[in-house]
Amino acid sequence: MDTLKVRDAKDVEEVVRAAIANEQPLEIIGHGTKRGIGHAMATNAVLDVSALNAVTAYEPNELIVTLQAGAPLADVLSLIDARNQQFAFEPMNTAPLLGTPALGTIGGMIAAGLAGPRRIKAGGARDHLLGAHAVSGFGDSFKTGGKVVKNVTGYDLCKLLAGSWGTLSVMTEVTLKVMPKPEAERTLLLRGLDDAAASKAMTTALGSPFDVSAAAHLPKSSFRASTDGLGDIASQSEALTVLRLEGITASATHRAGSLRELLAPFGTATLVEDTASAAVWATIRDVLPFAAGGALGAWPVWRIVCPPASGAALGTQLARETGGDVIYDWGGGLIWAALPPKADAHAPGVRQRAEAVGGHATLIRAAEDVRRIVDVFHPQAAGVAALSDRVRGSFDPKAILNRGRLSRGPAA
Amino acid sequence: MAIMMPASDQTVLVRRAQIIAALRTIVPGEGVIDSAAEMRAYESDGLTAYRQPPMVVVLPETTEQVSLVLKYCAEQGIKVVPRGSGTSLSGGALPLEDGVLLGLGKFKRIREIDFDNRVVVTEPGVTNLAISQAVAHAGFYYAPDPSSQIACSIGGNVAENSGGVHCLKYGMTTNNVLGCEIVLMSGEILRIGGKGCENSGYDLMGVITGSEGLLGVITEVTVRILQKPETARALMVGFAEVEAAGECVARIIGAGVIPGGMEMMDKPAIHAAEAFVHAGYPLDVEALLIIELDGPKIEVDELITRVEAIANGCGSTTCQISTSEAERNLFWAGRKAAFPAVGRISPDYLCMDGTIPRGALPKALARIRELGEKYQLGCANVFHAGDGNLHPLILYDANKPGEIERAEAFGADILRACVEFGGVLTGEHGVGIEKRDLMPEMFSEVDLNQQQRLKCAFDAQGLLNPGKVFPTLHRCAELGRMHVHAGRVAFPDIPRF
Repeated sequence: MDTLKVRDAKDVEEVVRAAIANEQPLEIIGHGTKRGIGHAMATNAVLDVSALNAVTAYEPNELIVTLQAGAPLADVLSLIDARNQQFAFEPMNTAPLLGTPALGTIGGMIAAGLAGPRRIKAGGARDHLLGAHAVSGFGDSFKTGGKVVKNVTGYDLCKLLAGSWGTLSVMTEVTLKVMPKPEAERTLLLRGLDDAAASKAMTTALGSPFDVSAAAHLPKSSFRASTDGLGDIASQSEALTVLRLEGITASATHRAGSLRELLAPFGTATLVEDTASAAVWATIRDVLPFAAGGALGAWPVWRIVCPPASGAALGTQLARETGGDVIYDWGGGLIWAALPPKADAHAPGVRQRAEAVGGHATLIRAAEDVRRIVDVFHPQAAGVAALSDRVRGSFDPKAILNRGRLSRGPAA
Repeated sequence: MAIMMPASDQTVLVRRAQIIAALRTIVPGEGVIDSAAEMRAYESDGLTAYRQPPMVVVLPETTEQVSLVLKYCAEQGIKVVPRGSGTSLSGGALPLEDGVLLGLGKFKRIREIDFDNRVVVTEPGVTNLAISQAVAHAGFYYAPDPSSQIACSIGGNVAENSGGVHCLKYGMTTNNVLGCEIVLMSGEILRIGGKGCENSGYDLMGVITGSEGLLGVITEVTVRILQKPETARALMVGFAEVEAAGECVARIIGAGVIPGGMEMMDKPAIHAAEAFVHAGYPLDVEALLIIELDGPKIEVDELITRVEAIANGCGSTTCQISTSEAERNLFWAGRKAAFPAVGRISPDYLCMDGTIPRGALPKALARIRELGEKYQLGCANVFHAGDGNLHPLILYDANKPGEIERAEAFGADILRACVEFGGVLTGEHGVGIEKRDLMPEMFSEVDLNQQQRLKCAFDAQGLLNPGKVFPTLHRCAELGRMHVHAGRVAFPDIPRF
């Protein structure tokens, strides 16, 4: 394998131009923590951007931070945490789920676009990427967006870059929105609800005026270890439904009280605060119950996005049909499903069930032999797939960047 | 007209009668308008300085009709300009002499209200406000609130990525739209996204939003709706110096407070507004901030106290806090009427729309003052202070020779200054034709070529809304050409591992 470690945007341009001239596809990596997601890439040449790791500018009062794409996410999170700020979309740490050692880079965070529990309130990576400098598959450095939160100048190419898994351009520098951390957080816990009742409780909470910032449900499971990050809050024998309220202390406390009353028909909610609450949501954000090092570490894991109110029925059905285990986030709109090992990871059933409710499923963790026969990313309707291919071609007509990552079969 | 539009295609214009006849077979009855008198209603949008009657107006009622019209136009090489309610402030819906004006005004039905998933599925001609009204009985609303919300359509909001006073806290259109049905110029009908939080594959919804009608025609939109905040209160704070008001904005944000809205007006805007609506604005201040906090009552009360303390610390000279809805609405009345109020003191005005980093506010306002002296024109400033979005209103008289040209040059210089200070040409009104020729101030040719290549992926013939957004049009074949840079095999300077 040939790894080229670039030092600046100019290097990236040179490497991509040479790759075009030599028809040599490139795999783009930062720390390589998410290389296990997607299909094996049709190349052995690696463009490593991890040395592009500078913080270009951090302006807390403007609520923005400008970073080179290889900046380590862990360092950036400490930097903004010191000013009591955060990425409001709660980027997921995929390391526990995939069994990799590190958090990865800012570029990887954006290219994967995996948002955490606050997605339902604050949006995803796509909503917080304000501007980018990138090198396209034409070998040209271009910029899009800006460094201000309100901007409609030209097409919003940032939206395409977020979640594109490095297939459109190599990002070299990005500007992200940061937000103040809430002063306090309160999490209500309801115990013993089945999926259907939990779904109703979450729908009630999210439809209330109490500004719920996260809603998740962990069904009773015979698989999970009792520890899985929740400590003594939960045990495997009892379902747990959790709802988060954030803001200034008086408000979060007050809303937690109001929400508890509203949810009385579902049982008596207990409360955890601040640090204990944060631990609950980190567990759900990073899907610790399905961690690579845990009891279900060898099982394939699906990430299913669907209309929230359809989630419970879908998840219940999948768990029953496959003998698998599920966790619900986003009020039911995100299902993590760990299913018993099978050659096709139960793909036909998962995809058909997800599609039936207007959802889609990504095979986020699976052995390479499974990924050889199963599409990792949800196949799209023909017209949308064709448009997506044309969009890809408008950035990278020769499919130089991460060729083969998004789809199986002959390299596009 | 000061701005050059693409040359009219005479081979299309000579076939006008045939084209109209063909369109009538697709959209029957009154859906095709070809009389000069009736087409006058469509010759301009909210940017009234520019007028151009279209070749013909078509008002389809179904997605299938939209598809057939576009397919026909694509086959015949006819340009198409989509239009919602025609409230664009950047000329996004300005017709073309040789183009079909495709009005979506008949798509005015809300298709589904889904409270459990907190979404509304609607046709594009429904007004922004009508969505909020349709869900108000259950305590919900649609958050983005452009000031034209009574009239502007949700389809137009998606095309322009419209903002509003509350987008600092609740986001712009792009943050509140989940899916759409879109018809490409080829006539192909696609469904993008849905009721879930995210699409599969590339975020096409994200790039369609704000594409100014150049990528496709939207025939259905799925938007998310939110529960109305329990309460809202506002502070009205005056400052003897603009710098102090700017500092106050920065400190509020720095303290971790994100107000529902935070607006600033300068002295000329305050005076014009006060004379018009008598909101009780202080007349002896240089800058006025209206800061609205919304949420649970207990939170709002607490934040009001904190913001008041910050304002005092920044040397505010007056501070009023609303104690009733009537009072809060009165604070807002002047700000909301700022445009018509300025219309009373000046025969004409141009409304600009740049965004700057919040911290650059004092120097931006100083620059605007200098430019006003240079161009000998007045300017009143209203400003979405929370997110740095400036709306200078340049005062001029179209009947005085040379004034409109001076006003436009003044406006262009303000936008150049916005870019110079680290900001952008447009925060919410769109590029359209108004800022089209300023795009190179912000983007290089390479940047603009990449954007136009994306356009090619949606509309390879360049027939949909040409002449908007991009100062120079290129053929897709030319844009797609690969320049192979000398086939170097090695990267001698780059470390390998």
